[in-house]
Amino acid sequence: MSCALRATRSSPSPLYAYVPKGHLSAFAVIWPSWLLLRTLSFRGVVRPDESAEFARPTAAVDTGRAMSRWNRLWRVAELPTTKAGVERAFSYFIAGVRLGTVAQMLPALHIGVATSPHRAAYIACWAAAALASIVGSAVTLVRRRPLGAAASCADFALACLLLVLAPMVLQEGERFGTWVAYQPGYALSVILVAGGVRGRVLWAGGLLGIIAAYTAYLGGAVGGNMTWTALGNILTYVVYALVIRMFYGFTRRIARDADDARAREAELARREEERRAQVLMHNGVAVLRLLTEPAGDAERSRLIDLAEVELRRMRSYLRGGQSRQDAAAVGAGQPVAVAALVERVCGRFADLHVDALLDLGAGLRLAPARADAVERALESLLLNVRVHAGASEVVVHLDQHDDRTWSLTVRDDGDGFDPQTVTPGIGLREVVVGELCRQGFEVDIDAAPGAGTTVTIRSGAEPTATAVAHDTSRGAA
Amino acid sequence: MRPAVAVVDDSPLIRESVGLLMPGLEVAAAVSTVEELVRRRPAADLVILDLHLANLEQQPDVRQGIAAIRAATGCGYRVCVYSQEERRFVLAACLAAGAGGIVSKALPTRRAEELFVEVAAGGTVMPQAVVGILEVLVRRDCITLLSERQRQLLRGRARGLSYAQVAKQLFVSESTLRGYWLELTRSLSDSLRDLTPAEIEHALGLAPGDLLELWPAEPTAPKDWWRTG
Repeated sequence: MSCALRATRSSPSPLYAYVPKGHLSAFAVIWPSWLLLRTLSFRGVVRPDESAEFARPTAAVDTGRAMSRWNRLWRVAELPTTKAGVERAFSYFIAGVRLGTVAQMLPALHIGVATSPHRAAYIACWAAAALASIVGSAVTLVRRRPLGAAASCADFALACLLLVLAPMVLQEGERFGTWVAYQPGYALSVILVAGGVRGRVLWAGGLLGIIAAYTAYLGGAVGGNMTWTALGNILTYVVYALVIRMFYGFTRRIARDADDARAREAELARREEERRAQVLMHNGVAVLRLLTEPAGDAERSRLIDLAEVELRRMRSYLRGGQSRQDAAAVGAGQPVAVAALVERVCGRFADLHVDALLDLGAGLRLAPARADAVERALESLLLNVRVHAGASEVVVHLDQHDDRTWSLTVRDDGDGFDPQTVTPGIGLREVVVGELCRQGFEVDIDAAPGAGTTVTIRSGAEPTATAVAHDTSRGAA
Repeated sequence: MRPAVAVVDDSPLIRESVGLLMPGLEVAAAVSTVEELVRRRPAADLVILDLHLANLEQQPDVRQGIAAIRAATGCGYRVCVYSQEERRFVLAACLAAGAGGIVSKALPTRRAEELFVEVAAGGTVMPQAVVGILEVLVRRDCITLLSERQRQLLRGRARGLSYAQVAKQLFVSESTLRGYWLELTRSLSDSLRDLTPAEIEHALGLAPGDLLELWPAEPTAPKDWWRTG
């Protein structure tokens, strides 16, 4: 919206007794709302990199990193929903209002200078207002929060002074409906930005001061219909001051509540983590204690086996393996994300050292029935590794190929077996091979004594997407 | 001939146990901080470096992580990280920072010793999780220097297949394959060092900025510090 400069002396519309009011009213209502919505709609509730504790290195790796930082500085949408983030958003709002006011004042400057009875005084007053707006914006942006009490007090005082001096520097009849008389608009901008000042007395006193100064500004110029216009302008000051004050206060309260909620969440997470660590270490400590006791070779050997199991459990904890169990659940009948499914199953085998490499199949989804078959098969395979293989490393690898087929490989470096002489148990024979083949998968088992076992499950010739669509529709029927 | 190693670990237990439990290594120095290593500059074929060197009790402000790797490699040492760290991007970041290998403290000492010898001889030891990351980077054309045979080898190793299994698939001898792997891992490590966090984030589908805190910044960065916690 461009500033509707009204330098003519025609009677102003009652709705636009002076132009700044019309312009700033829309500005004052829309921008805070937009700012609040954008801030609250921030994708991640909090970005840890914004807090001092998680501050990133200050040096940029490359230009892209530097550009990213620069962009982030100005992108309101990425401001954190913390108290600090909200204050930063306020600083953008304040700078916008103040610099916007200067922009509105600028086009009418030459007319004001030309028509003013005291040109030098007019220019001095105008310069003081512009300078205060620019300096105030810069300081606010640097501080990343609104101005403090002293600066706000000075702001109010300047606005009052400019209003009181206005009759001396303005020509008769120019006090309404023109940006030549910028003083009321400037005062409104001060009211808008000072809404965030902490002290209620200062805020109320400043507002009353501006109303009193505005009354002095009107002086003998008010008469006839203009009385009601002047009264409307005073009400505008009061209403906007109250609304913007409520906006500042409510937004700060939201941020405070969000910070409190995050602190509570962090505390609960810490307690849960502590509980998990206690549960996890409970058995390990007992085994270590027993290992320090004198014992025979047989007992010690058993204890070492137990220690090995506990060691694997602790390694899994260190890798964050337990969190795999919390993989997102899906709605009934919906295609299932295979990577999440595999992570969930691997999480149930915390005692095995499982490397789950799933990035290449991150987008793979299967119909629920087929996903169930894969889940049971993978669980059965890992159970076999746990019970029979004696493996030190297990790799679970998911790969979705360019032709949309996929494969899931489970490889362990354990004892292996000879497929020619050893009959597979019911788990491998029925749950893995039988059920998977019934679901249309291909299963390949490669094993040799002492060389571990590799089981590869493939989607078969049918492309995944087709299979999902087909199976989903069948399930729905 | 036994390779001479310098052990940098804040735990006296680890510093002592390397010499006692790994007879294939000659411990030239065992120090608790990388600052002390840099000051003493012992002659060593390999620096066995713990990733988490700071501890509140004795040395809260010492260099660790990426900064420690950089300090050691900056002195011309070949570095092998010996840590309990399991997070895959942290491990990949260590390779990107110049480490020649990463060995888990959870491995049996005999296996760890073999791997240290391999790194001291110029090899590159990568954890399985990092091999997985590299396979993704290659498949998504973030790393493009590989021949078809190298891609097949990486594909097999990412699935955990043994040298024997991959050799059988590729119709080459196991020893030849080991040579290929040595060459391939060096090449991949070099390529990893050239990538920016943004490129890796994009290839792996991570959110922008996810790797910034982990990944090594410019060596000249004023805040050449990296927290592993």
